[in-house]
Amino acid sequence: MNLSHRLFHVFFRNLVSYKRFVVTTFIASLIQPLFYLITFGIGMGAYMGEFGGRSYLFFLVPGVIITSVMMSATFECLYGTFVKMIHERLYDSLIATPVSAEDAIAGDIAWASFRGLISGGLMMAVAAAMGIFPVSVLSFVLLVLVMAFIGILFASLAMIVTSYAPNFDFFNYYTELVVTPMLFFSGVFFPLDNFPGWMKTLAQFMPLTHAVAIARAVYSGVYPRRVLFNVAVGLVLGLAAFVVGVRRMKKRLVK
Amino acid sequence: MKTIIRAEGLTKKYGDFTAVDGISFEIREGESFGFLGPNGAGKTTTVRMIHCVSPVTSGILTVNGLPADIRNRALKAMTGVIPQEITLDIDLTVRENLLVFSRFFDIPRREAKSRIDELLKFVELEAKRDSKIDQLSTGMKRRLLIARALLNRPLFIVADEPTTGLDPQARHLIWQRLRQLKAQGATLILTTQYMEEAQQLCDRLVIMHGGKILKEGTPNGLIEAEIGREVVEIRTPVERDAALIADLGATACGHERVGDTLYFYCRDGHALRRRLFELDLPNTVHRPATLEDVFLKLTGRSLIE
Repeated sequence: MNLSHRLFHVFFRNLVSYKRFVVTTFIASLIQPLFYLITFGIGMGAYMGEFGGRSYLFFLVPGVIITSVMMSATFECLYGTFVKMIHERLYDSLIATPVSAEDAIAGDIAWASFRGLISGGLMMAVAAAMGIFPVSVLSFVLLVLVMAFIGILFASLAMIVTSYAPNFDFFNYYTELVVTPMLFFSGVFFPLDNFPGWMKTLAQFMPLTHAVAIARAVYSGVYPRRVLFNVAVGLVLGLAAFVVGVRRMKKRLVK
Repeated sequence: MKTIIRAEGLTKKYGDFTAVDGISFEIREGESFGFLGPNGAGKTTTVRMIHCVSPVTSGILTVNGLPADIRNRALKAMTGVIPQEITLDIDLTVRENLLVFSRFFDIPRREAKSRIDELLKFVELEAKRDSKIDQLSTGMKRRLLIARALLNRPLFIVADEPTTGLDPQARHLIWQRLRQLKAQGATLILTTQYMEEAQQLCDRLVIMHGGKILKEGTPNGLIEAEIGREVVEIRTPVERDAALIADLGATACGHERVGDTLYFYCRDGHALRRRLFELDLPNTVHRPATLEDVFLKLTGRSLIE
């Protein structure tokens, strides 16, 4: 893996271009999770009892934060990367400089993770406005780290998809068949405890399940023993997805 | 003169398809070297291997004494690339394009700023520095690509069909800039399918076809050796060929029939013209030989698809 500090130059390139899209992306990444917070949190929350001595919103918020990280990072590495690769041919000129293909892809993954952090950060701010905070400063700092890592995980997974994509339509398979189901079966909106056994097992194969479990533990400061397993799965999956994503994309860029 | 690029038996395969088929050549410092050929001849593949973005399948290719390798960042740092496609960053302004690119080469910020100002002046884009890319004409975009290729003060410049799709004014402006660079001592590696471009810019060139090098030489040397100095074209039915060749053949150094035209190639056309005048044929053209004649003679006048 031919990686160097130049991945930050690619990050910098994305940052320079981002200033033109910043407002639109703020709005776009805010709307959907905001709806979840309002409809599920306030609407449905009114019918819910307390969750472990706290309000339903407190249960929901970390899930929604991680979901918005996942969405932003995923879309950045699906559509964003595809446009740069096919339509703008940006990587062609990048890899003719000392920036390697690996730097370029890793830079984009880092960027997507940063985009996820922004989206998740916005959600945190909205939740704060509703009176929902992480339990401590430490828990806030840890949450930011978790968000950054989960951003890398989903960005890398999206890179693998992009490396196979012949066109935009291809992404629908991933978003409709993988991302959307994950949203409902990963314990974002309700605990997995009451699902039948096979669904619980299925949920263990969804990266979002582990991401949400880690985020919720960090947010509430309550660490069940199981969270170690979630962290282990997250780390292994994140590392594997990163390596495979970068390798696959390099194969597509270098001919 | 020092040899900058050396290839021996250089080969590139994509699966079963051989794009470049065991070619050998040398490019020396300060010269302007052209790869001339029709679409699919292997020109672009060859220069992509030279500037280390495409791995070599087999054979030897050294750049500045080092083996060409896509992982060699030092080699990429000394190369300037003017790509065939317009690969500017459309999300950024003219100046931001150069600024971001200078970061890729780790050029210190202050140094980058002064180089950017200097280069924008060189390609006459100072007035457009804050424009977005889609506000530029194709000619301006091509000029910006030249400026971008020069940011890292390259040891040699690879220009892959730098004037494709340009109008005559824009093309001549690009040629002037490239000749100016050449006059300043830059080593220029050019691919083109335009004979005029090759004649305008190249000290030496190779004619490629089907992944192989057919001929190598200077533009005028190749014309002299392959065609002569002059060409006489006669539009005439094929039935008259035998009679005309018997009549004119002795005064020419070669002839060829393509479609509706019989071509005579000569070193000195006086005798042939005199005879032609006596024959009083309609539809004849007498003109100096060009690289295009060499090219068409070597690669065949039929359509390449």
